[in-house]
Amino acid sequence: MTPVRDAIAAALNQCEREPIHIPGSIQPHGALLACRHPDLIIEHASVNAADYFMMPLNRILGARLEDLFRSDAGHIRLALNNEQLDAKPAWLMSIALPGSSSPAWQMIAHRREDLAIIELEQAVDAANVGFSSVYPLVTRFMSDLAPARSIDELNSIAAREIRQITGFDRVLIYRFDSDWHGSVVAEDRNEELPSYLDLRFPASDIPAQAREMYRRNRLRLIPDAAYSPVPITPELNPRTGQPLDLTYSVLRSVSPVHVRYMKNMGTGASMSISILRDGQLWGLVSCHNKTPRRVSFEVRNACDIIAQAFSAQIAAGEHRADAETRIRLKSTESRLLRHMAEQDTFLDGLTKNQEDLLACTGADGAAILFESECRLVGMTPSEPQVRELAAWLDREHADAGVFQSECLSEIYPAALEFAASGSGVIAASISSLHDSYIMWFRPEVLMTVKWGGDPRKPTEPDGQVLNPRNSFEIWKQTVRLHSRPWSAAEIDSARDLREAIVRIVLRTAEETAQLSGELARSNQELEAFSYSVSHDLRAPFRHIAGFAELLRERESDRLSETGKRYLGTIIESAQFAGRLVDNLLSFSQIGRASLQFSPVNTATLVAEIRSQLALDSADRDIEWRIGDLPSVRADLFMLRLVFQNLLSNAIKYTRPREKAVIEIGSERGDRETIFHVRDNGVGFDIQYASKLFGIFQRLHRMEDFEGTGIGLANVRRIVTRHGGRTWAEGEVNRGAAFYFTLPDSPEAAARESRAREKGPVEQIP
Amino acid sequence: MSDLLKPILLVEDNPKDLELTLVALEKTQLANQVITLRDGAEALDYLFRRGQYATRAEGNPAVILLDLKLPKVDGLQVLERIKEDAALRSTPVVMLTSSREEKDLIRSYNLGVNAYVVKPVGFGEFIEAISDLGIFWAVLNEPPPGSMRPRR
Repeated sequence: MTPVRDAIAAALNQCEREPIHIPGSIQPHGALLACRHPDLIIEHASVNAADYFMMPLNRILGARLEDLFRSDAGHIRLALNNEQLDAKPAWLMSIALPGSSSPAWQMIAHRREDLAIIELEQAVDAANVGFSSVYPLVTRFMSDLAPARSIDELNSIAAREIRQITGFDRVLIYRFDSDWHGSVVAEDRNEELPSYLDLRFPASDIPAQAREMYRRNRLRLIPDAAYSPVPITPELNPRTGQPLDLTYSVLRSVSPVHVRYMKNMGTGASMSISILRDGQLWGLVSCHNKTPRRVSFEVRNACDIIAQAFSAQIAAGEHRADAETRIRLKSTESRLLRHMAEQDTFLDGLTKNQEDLLACTGADGAAILFESECRLVGMTPSEPQVRELAAWLDREHADAGVFQSECLSEIYPAALEFAASGSGVIAASISSLHDSYIMWFRPEVLMTVKWGGDPRKPTEPDGQVLNPRNSFEIWKQTVRLHSRPWSAAEIDSARDLREAIVRIVLRTAEETAQLSGELARSNQELEAFSYSVSHDLRAPFRHIAGFAELLRERESDRLSETGKRYLGTIIESAQFAGRLVDNLLSFSQIGRASLQFSPVNTATLVAEIRSQLALDSADRDIEWRIGDLPSVRADLFMLRLVFQNLLSNAIKYTRPREKAVIEIGSERGDRETIFHVRDNGVGFDIQYASKLFGIFQRLHRMEDFEGTGIGLANVRRIVTRHGGRTWAEGEVNRGAAFYFTLPDSPEAAARESRAREKGPVEQIP
Repeated sequence: MSDLLKPILLVEDNPKDLELTLVALEKTQLANQVITLRDGAEALDYLFRRGQYATRAEGNPAVILLDLKLPKVDGLQVLERIKEDAALRSTPVVMLTSSREEKDLIRSYNLGVNAYVVKPVGFGEFIEAISDLGIFWAVLNEPPPGSMRPRR
């Protein structure tokens, strides 16, 4: 832990242990008596009671309430029997005290277990607002609240109205987040005190036991921060041995830490009213005055009514806002789904509509990882960081369909590196097979704080620990590396989108599985077909050729010249048909055989093929121009077929030339080698270029150039299986040039080309 | 003297192929007797001297020319039985077939075939292939133990 965090932990610990409900003292603007109920014998008294009742304390303690209040005692006894006083202070009456110059004291009482606690509070000067003027303000507030739409508006109205009713210099609406850190969300003030709008406070500023007390007793008042506490005597109850519980007391003396904090803030008086939502503390109305200020019980009550009316509105407003958010998120989501349906892949659908993708969870950045692809949108960590995060999620949180965190670095330290873009993350797994995710990112919250006023300005003297500036610093330490939290609606939205995508991915996978099943079946049929072609078709051709040869050999003297010619044609045709069948089978074998990649020296390979072909073209005058032929990664057997085909074609189609010129070379492309074989032969009409590489496509008459039209089809098939491309250039009678490329890493390219191969596709650069 | 030569066993079901093969063998002018059998079952009866061949003289053929696709028991099964049998294992077997299918080739080699000939469509080439085979296995090849050395 860092020293700062140690300090916070220590401060929190200390504050949380302070028993603030049993301070043993009250504030001096009143007196307190606690009597046993129902016999009303006084067991505790604040020491100032002696002055007000002009009676020594030892006589007050043990006295009956009637002894002090005489004529009013009957009324008080009756009122104290009212069960509504249980844990709820109520105003009983105005009263004059013998030892006080003040004309009227307010008697406020409540019951706590078997004690009746009676508090006497000096009445507030007439200058202060009285109940008669409070009523219209409350009514106005109620009617102002009704048309208010947003939570922000409600906050502002509440701050304004409460300041008007109470007359404080500054009224803040202070809101707790899910971790009990607080922020000032609305403010109404004059120029006496600085603005605290948007100021953040760590949870340790209002520790758990204080929050619990605030939840139970909704209103606290400190009319004068400079007060000296008045002790209660005796400290421990003589019957129970317990200190007096002042949870519901209106005069309760507050923690010295709190008083010091107030002084450091430069406030002379404060009042705070709890705002509860569904029984939980939602926030506080926090009122400050530069100078000491009293607020009458009636006005306090009115403020409480307003605060509770306000909290009901807040609840309604938040429900409404939540519903609106959900509707908005839902419509964003359905827009995204529509986009996904329109695009070829859901990936395109998501990334082409970046705003919707981000709005879907209210994120600042998003990443989509699917199979090997990674797409980033908005403000995100880098691609390698995203990939690592996905791998980690896959290892550690594989079961979670939707993972979310608002402080990722807490559980994934590598996230420290990208806190500025990805302190918060929602990750929705979209495939169970591989680490495919949609992730949404939020930056560290410090980056997103907006300031209304400037509370960071050092208005307080230096060296004081307890002040808002320090609170802000502590808060910064506490929320460092945290993002704004993800709301339930936003997480649900991610979950919904995930489900939709999983459905799409599953459907696609099912379709693919069905397709590949069909493909496998038709491949099998094709194999069975080639097998039967091989066996059944080849045999009759062989028989026709064989018996025709026998006929020519043994009976030709009995045939006319025409008959002999016919016989010759039969033999030739049968042999040609046999060759066609053989070529067809070899073509299908090239498509099916598995490739063995190894380094191939193409210079050696070409030299070898040339010497092989030289046997058949010994009578020809051929000038070979051999360019740069590097070593490449390829299947040797297959690549040999490619060069064999291209070279023998070049020799064949230059036959009419007195001197054939055949040029073989290569050049570097983008992560590939581009080979070419160029000749000065008969060429071809460029408009048929697309037909050249098709199976059994011929551009020349059989009597001019023999062949079955399978060679270039084989070339294309082999090159495609290596992940390369083939194309040709040519002109009638001006030669032809054939090009093919081999990628530097054919293994990966071959996998891809197989994955997307949908048949022979023309590829001209 | 020709009786002393081991016969050539030709197992072929297709009468046209049979006729052509016989013509081709005839052209090689080998002195060996050619015994023709028409299916796999018959070939096994002959080789294991049972059924109608129970009484034939002892001795294994010089070479067996075996068509791949045969009725009843197919060529690969016959080959398998031959290579399983201690006495027959060393008799050379040449698969004669139309098939260029890889898997047949691989299976044949796995079963221990001595040679494999895809019957060419051209008759001239066919004659050449057959005579090469005949000469190689019946004449030039050192007869495996258990068969008699040819004497001319």
